[in-house]
Amino acid sequence: MAKEKIEKNTDSEQAYWSYVKRQFRKNKRALFSAYFVAFLAFIALFADFLANEKPIVAKYQGVTYFPIAKSYSVNLGLSKWQTPLKNINWLDAKYDWAIRPLIPYSPTTVDNFNMQFVGPFDKQSIKSIRWKHWFGTEKIGRDILSGLIHGTRTAFLVGLVSMSIASLIGIILGSLAGFFGDNRLKVSRASAIGMVLSAIFGFFYAFSSRSQTISDSMGVSPIKGLFQLLISVGIFIAVCGIFYLLTRPMKFIPLLNKKTSVPIDIIVQRLIEILLSIPRLFLIIAIVAIAKPSIFLVMIVIGATSWTEIARFIRAELLKVRSLEYIEASEALGYSNYRILTKHAIPNALSPVLITIAFGIASAILVEAFLSFIGLGLPPEMQTWGKILNEARGAVSAWWMVIFPGFAIFITVTLFNLIGEGLSDALDPRQKR
Amino acid sequence: MLAISLLTFMLSVSVPGDPVELMMNGGSGDNGQSASKIAGEQAFIEKRHALGLDLPVFYFSFSNQAIPDTLYRLPKKLHKANLERLIYTYGNWPEIEKYYAAIKKLEIENLKVPIDSSNAEPRIIIKDNLYKLFIHDDKGTIDTVFSNINNSINKAPSLVVLKPLFSDLKSAFGNIESNATPLKNKIPSVKWYGINNQYHNWITKFMVGDFGISYQDGRPVKSVLWDAIRWTVMLSLLSILLSYLIAIPIGVNSAQNKGSKGDQITTTFLFILYSLPSFWVATLLIMFFGGGDFFDWFPSYGVGEVTDSMNFIEIVGVRLKYLFLPLVCYTYGSLAFISRQMRGAVINSLGQDYVRTAKAKGLSQKVVLWKHAFRNSLLPIITLFANIFPLAISGSIVLEIIFSIPGMGKLAYEAILRRNYPIVFSVVMFSGILTLVGNLVSDILYAVVDPRISYSSKKN
Repeated sequence: MAKEKIEKNTDSEQAYWSYVKRQFRKNKRALFSAYFVAFLAFIALFADFLANEKPIVAKYQGVTYFPIAKSYSVNLGLSKWQTPLKNINWLDAKYDWAIRPLIPYSPTTVDNFNMQFVGPFDKQSIKSIRWKHWFGTEKIGRDILSGLIHGTRTAFLVGLVSMSIASLIGIILGSLAGFFGDNRLKVSRASAIGMVLSAIFGFFYAFSSRSQTISDSMGVSPIKGLFQLLISVGIFIAVCGIFYLLTRPMKFIPLLNKKTSVPIDIIVQRLIEILLSIPRLFLIIAIVAIAKPSIFLVMIVIGATSWTEIARFIRAELLKVRSLEYIEASEALGYSNYRILTKHAIPNALSPVLITIAFGIASAILVEAFLSFIGLGLPPEMQTWGKILNEARGAVSAWWMVIFPGFAIFITVTLFNLIGEGLSDALDPRQKR
Repeated sequence: MLAISLLTFMLSVSVPGDPVELMMNGGSGDNGQSASKIAGEQAFIEKRHALGLDLPVFYFSFSNQAIPDTLYRLPKKLHKANLERLIYTYGNWPEIEKYYAAIKKLEIENLKVPIDSSNAEPRIIIKDNLYKLFIHDDKGTIDTVFSNINNSINKAPSLVVLKPLFSDLKSAFGNIESNATPLKNKIPSVKWYGINNQYHNWITKFMVGDFGISYQDGRPVKSVLWDAIRWTVMLSLLSILLSYLIAIPIGVNSAQNKGSKGDQITTTFLFILYSLPSFWVATLLIMFFGGGDFFDWFPSYGVGEVTDSMNFIEIVGVRLKYLFLPLVCYTYGSLAFISRQMRGAVINSLGQDYVRTAKAKGLSQKVVLWKHAFRNSLLPIITLFANIFPLAISGSIVLEIIFSIPGMGKLAYEAILRRNYPIVFSVVMFSGILTLVGNLVSDILYAVVDPRISYSSKKN
């Protein structure tokens, strides 16, 4: 009986999503954009194999190597370069034979013969057409096309990761606010006190008093820093657990066991208002400008400042869902709040969030491009679209350095906007055009 | 509002870099004689005092027992950070304090030693090594520094006077190590500073309209801000006006002819316009129309020079020439956005029952469109109004940097880069206030446009 019900449930869910899929497919522009984004994602994923000064496969001094694949494990610190490859000049080395990537330049490769802004139609001093700089070079002779290909990766990484952070924050806060409102979330005084104290002490022991260790090991390598950070999170959870156990006996005191409601809705609303009243770009620049350049920081900052829209949508949606009969029914069945929220309420409120996420990715990519455009945010060894645009500001006649990266930004942003539009049409059958 | 002020304040305090050091161009002399060194230090401390930076940051602080409640008095951020690290490792502030005093004393005495040919080089070595002590905390570095100093002192006979001081220093460090109480770091404690703190002073002054003094040029923030805000407000008002003027007819028109070829072309065009990144467009415009190899039609930077002898029309002419490209960039994005919103809203209200009723009454197409449909679709457009001020400032950051217009955005950006906090605070507070004002204005406009909305009996 129960099994049957579940099957039916998944059936109807599938029906809904297949309906959405059908609607989405009908929208030719959106579908095309989705395929194009997949294509760009492919470029981003395999950027190292598409544009790299290292060969994909090469025989050097009688031994066959896979330098690009090898470079991954070397960068992760898992292995070291074989001795003959240690100080090799990848570009000019005499290989027995080599299969090179489509673009035989890394974004950092300096082509000494094509320095000082050589355009795609200018005469390039190259060995053969195989070595042509299709999109020209910049001041110190780095290949623009290679920079663009690797910039795709940065853009996608920033867009996707920062929006994941944003949707995590937004969905959690928004659903809490919408589902519980101002007076439905009830906790006993004892646990309220316990929570506040465990937050303070947990922060103190896990992060504040370990800050030196964390920042030191962050300096050694990001993986070690992450490891220390994980330890801190563990300590935090442990402290919370201790306080949880401590507050249990306190509940036998009637005064402390009295339930109080947490005005979670007001708290979240005020938070959103505060964030909205500071110009977002201003806030991002302020944080990014003063810290050490790192892609993680950029992603976190963009994510932490762009969750407001998602939270607002999911809150509004949950306010609607909350009053529907099936939630009442599941409450009557005695399901826990957690289960109702995660299994029943949130899945039904997710569709508008998808739309905001699609638009959000577009704007995150834009913000990152702008940050690199004014020379903030990312470490110098990382090539991005915005950085190429920035370099172009110093060279008024190098049109190829403005047109191509700008077009890349424009196309990506447009694609994500189109997908967002397509989604909003597909998810909301009432708004048929 | 209070929370915004707190947020920005916290952000600014927790950043690296010392505004006083930046102000004094790298701060106290690295190459000075003892007198100038001491004088520099003195000036540094006085400057900090004048700016109120030697006060505690907030009403209270939450830290651990090992951190003394007087640490904030230390003038230099780098030194403070290093001492904090030492405290973190060893946890006994009294000993660390003595150690710090010993370093300083040795540094000053070293500078006081008269220079002769034999001690010139060892003196510099000692100075450099002492400098390392101020910013390094790991035992390996400290030991090498000690042995370096020892060698240098023994090299020149005139440096013998430093010997007792050096042994003091060494024993101070020894004491730190032997009396270490790292466990003190694990005991949390709250320290109360009272109302004489940086935040309190700043916010009370802000309330009465004293925004402080710009660190950069010593001008009052108020006048700096006023100079900048004029440009931003003028540009954004102009562009908002322009974009509403153009966008509303476009939107209404394309909604009216929904589905036609013309509508499809406009929607696609607007969509492309909407997705164009403004900084790219700005760079392109500068490249193609602002000099360079292509068309030299408009000047690409600044706002132009205006002399007193010009009359009004000439001034407008000069300004327009300079501001044309920025204005285009300001306008096109919001233009596209507003028209799209307008189109959607009109389509929505054209599908409503009252429009059908109006048509059934025999009203002309024009009356139906403008009087019934248009008016009802104004609501979403008005909502946009609330967000326009923060958007304008965000937008102005982008475009003012590129076109180097001396407005709020550029001011804020430069203030951030130069740690000019009085300005950063004021800009953030102002944009917060402006957002609130925007919200208020749009609420009032709601009531004006839609009589059904009244605030006296508002329930939600």
